Amino acid sequence: MWRYIFRRLLFLIPVLIGVSILIFAIIHLAPGDPAETLLGPSATAQDLEELREQLGLNESLTVQYFTFLINSLKGDFGRSIRTNNPVLEELLDRFEPSLLLAVCSMTLAIVVGLPLGVLAALRQNTWLDTFCNLTALLGFSIPGFWLGLMLMLLFSIMFPILPSSGYGSWEQLIMPAVVLGTNTMAVIARMTRSSMLEVVRQDYVRTAKAKGLNSRLILTRHILTNVLIPVVTVAGLNFGHMLGGVVITETVFSIPGIGRLIIDAIRFKDYPVVQGGILFFAFCLSLVNLGVDLLYALLDPRIKAQYRAS
Amino acid sequence: MDMERRGVTIFLLSLALMGVLLFPGPGRAAEKVLRIAQQADCNGFDPQKITDVYTGTLLRQVYNGLVQPDENMIFQPDLAESWENPDDLTWIFKLRQGVLFHNGEEFTAEDVKYTFDRLFDPKTASPGVTHVREVDKVEIVDKYTIKITTKTPYAPLLANLGRYEFCMLNKKGVDAAGEDYNKMPVGTGPFTLESWRPGDSVVLKKFDKYFKGTPKVDKIIFRGIPEDATRVIEMESGGVDICMDFPPQDFERVKAEGKFVMYEKSALSTNYYGFNTSVKPFDDKRVRQALNYAVDVDALIDSLYFGLGVKSRGPMSDQVWGFDTSLPEDPYPYDVEKAKAMLAEAGYPNGFKTKLYASTQSLSRSTAEYFQGFFAEVGIEAEVVSLEWGAYLAETRKGADGMFTMGWSGTGDADGALTYLYDSQNIGSSNRVFWSDPKFDKMMYEGRTTLDPEKRKAIYKEAQTYFNEEVPIVLMLSRNLIAATTTKVKGFAIYPNQVYQLFNVSLDD
Repeated sequence: MWRYIFRRLLFLIPVLIGVSILIFAIIHLAPGDPAETLLGPSATAQDLEELREQLGLNESLTVQYFTFLINSLKGDFGRSIRTNNPVLEELLDRFEPSLLLAVCSMTLAIVVGLPLGVLAALRQNTWLDTFCNLTALLGFSIPGFWLGLMLMLLFSIMFPILPSSGYGSWEQLIMPAVVLGTNTMAVIARMTRSSMLEVVRQDYVRTAKAKGLNSRLILTRHILTNVLIPVVTVAGLNFGHMLGGVVITETVFSIPGIGRLIIDAIRFKDYPVVQGGILFFAFCLSLVNLGVDLLYALLDPRIKAQYRAS
Repeated sequence: MDMERRGVTIFLLSLALMGVLLFPGPGRAAEKVLRIAQQADCNGFDPQKITDVYTGTLLRQVYNGLVQPDENMIFQPDLAESWENPDDLTWIFKLRQGVLFHNGEEFTAEDVKYTFDRLFDPKTASPGVTHVREVDKVEIVDKYTIKITTKTPYAPLLANLGRYEFCMLNKKGVDAAGEDYNKMPVGTGPFTLESWRPGDSVVLKKFDKYFKGTPKVDKIIFRGIPEDATRVIEMESGGVDICMDFPPQDFERVKAEGKFVMYEKSALSTNYYGFNTSVKPFDDKRVRQALNYAVDVDALIDSLYFGLGVKSRGPMSDQVWGFDTSLPEDPYPYDVEKAKAMLAEAGYPNGFKTKLYASTQSLSRSTAEYFQGFFAEVGIEAEVVSLEWGAYLAETRKGADGMFTMGWSGTGDADGALTYLYDSQNIGSSNRVFWSDPKFDKMMYEGRTTLDPEKRKAIYKEAQTYFNEEVPIVLMLSRNLIAATTTKVKGFAIYPNQVYQLFNVSLDD
C-alpha cells in the first residue's frame, strides 16, 4: 500500500512539469505582457523596454522557463509583479479561505445530499422520492451568483442576521458555503439515488436479506459501502474544483480566495502568480485524486487488493 | 475536587470572562472605526509603483505630497508650505517644519531629494516618471528648502506633483523594509498601516502625531468589493459606512429610499472613442466630424451610465483646470442625415468597413457595440474586437487599425488632459490616436511653457476650440462619480480625481 502511495507521489513530478510547461506556454504566448499593464497607457517604448529587461522578459522563452523551473524546485516562486509580495506567501494566504469554504460546503453537500439520495431510493416512486428529486434538480439548476444575491437580500437586509460579505468570521462562511454546497449536494443526491437503485437489486443484497439480516445492517454494511464509490468519485472531483477557487462565489461574497487571486493575476499578466497558482492548484488536485483513490481502497477490498498487487 | 465540579467551575469562569470581553465596563470609549467599500483591492503601499486610483486613495491616507488637490481640484500646500518661481525654470519649495514620519524621523529636504532620486532610478521602474520628464534637477537648498529645476519652463509641474506617485518617502523607512516596502509603508500621513490582507481589506490606524492634527476616527477599514451588487448590499445591510464607486444602476432607487446620503460629482476623467488618425479614412477630418454626428451620446449615457454622466463639450472634463466654459454645449448633436452627407462629401457615400477595439471590460465592450449600431445607420460596417487589457494596451500603442475606446484622468491641469493624449511627441506612448498636428503641438508647447495662469488659460481655450474642429476622437462623456454614506458620516466629499482625502471625515455617535 505504501509503495502504491509512494509511486503515485512520484508520478506527481512529471504531471507538475507537464502542467508548468503548458501554463508557461499559454500565458507567454497570449498577447500583451505585464510591462504594459504595470506601466499603464502613458509609458514610452523605452520605459517598457527597461521594465521588461528588469523582469527578465527579454530572455528567450526557454531561458525564462528553466529559470522559473529551477527556482520553483527550490520553493521560490518569485514575487508578484502586481503587489511585489512573495508568490508563495500570497498563494497560502489566499488558499486558506478557499480551503475552509471547500471543506464547509463539501460537508454540507454530503450531510444533506447523501441522506436525500438514500431516502429517495428507499422510497422510490413515492412523493418523498419526487420531493428529493425536485430538490436536487433545483439545487443543480440554480445559478450560484443568483442564489448568493438572494440569500444576501434575505439574511442580510430583510432579516439581518448574517453579514453579507467578506471573510474572517464563521458567520461570513455560512451563505457562501450554502451557495457553493447546493450544486454539489444536488449532484451527490442524484448520484446516491441512482447508485442505490442499482445496488439494491444486486444478488448480495438479496442474499443478505435471505440470511435474515436486519435492514439497517444491510443498508450500512452492504448497500452504502458499495453506493459510496461513485459518490466519492463525484465528491472528490467537486472538492478538487472547489480548492482551485470558485471565482463566482468568491466574487459575489467578496472572499479573498485563490480563484479570484488567479483571475486577477491573469488579467494583470502577473506571470509569477499565474504560474505559481496553477502549479499549486494542479498539486492540490493531484493530492485530492490520490485521496479519492485511497478512499476506494478503504471502501472496496477488491481495489485494495489491486493496489497491493501492483 | 472531582472532575465534574472542576468542569462546572471552568465553565462558569469562562462565562464570566466572556462577559468581560463582550461587555466592556463603563469609561472605555468605543473605538471609532470608519468602514469603507471601494471597487478594487489594494495593490500595495509603494506610491512609486501604483497605477490605480483605488490604491491611490489608500496612499493619500498614509502619505503626503508637496502639494495636494482639494475636492475642487485646486492645488493646496501639503508638505510644501509655499513655492515660488525666481525664474521660469526654477521652483523653490519651502517645506513645512516639524513634520514627523510614522517612524519618528523628521521630514526634511533630504526626504524630497531621496523621493525623486528613487523615482528616477530605472530600477524602480516607476510609472510616475512620465509626469516629471521635464524635471532636470532636484537640489537641497537647506534643511527646509528644495529647488526643482526643469529642462524647459514647465507650468504643469505643480499639478503633476499633486498626484499620488509623488508621495514623500523616508529613506530609513524604505531601507528598513527592503523588498517588503510595499507592505510596510512609512509616510507622514494621518494614518498608518495596521494590516493588509490582499484581496480582502486594509486596516489603517490613526497617527497621533499627524502635523495637521489628530484624525477624527481611530481606524479606517477599506474593503475592496469588486461586485457591484455586493457593494450595495454591504452598504444597505450596515456593513460599511461609506460606499465609494456606488453602482449607477442602483443610484436612483437608493436615493429615493432616502436612507443614505448620496453624493454625485462629475469626474476628472473623460471617456472617448479614438480614431487612428494616421490611417484611412480617419486621416480625413470630415470623416471624423461625420462620425461625431453619427453617435447619439445622450442615449449612450442614458442606457450605459443610467444618465449619470455629462456629454463632453470638448477634449476634457469641466473639472479640469483650463476647461473653456464658453465651448458650445453640444458641439456635435446627433444627426444621422448630416453624418451621411458629410461622409458622402468625403468620398464615402456607401460607408466603409472598420474595426472598433474595446477591452474585455463589460462597459468598454458595450460601448463598442453601441457604436457598432450607430455606425451601421450611416452605412459603416464595424467589427467589434475585444482584447484583454494588457493586449489592448499593446495593440493600441502600435496603432489600432480602426478605433479604440479609452478613459483618461490626467492630472487636473489642461496639460495633463491634452498633451499626453494628443501631442505628437507622445505618439507611441499615450497618444494612441496618432494625431500629429503641428499647430496643436505648438499650442501645447506654449501652454506648458507659459507660467502665467491667465495667459495659459487663453492658450488652452484656443486649443480646445481647435481640437473640436479637428476632433481626433468621438467626443463621449465624463461620467459622474457616485458615493453613498450613512447619515453618521460627516465631512465626506467626492474628489473628481477619485483619490479621496479622508482626514476630515468624522463619524457621529
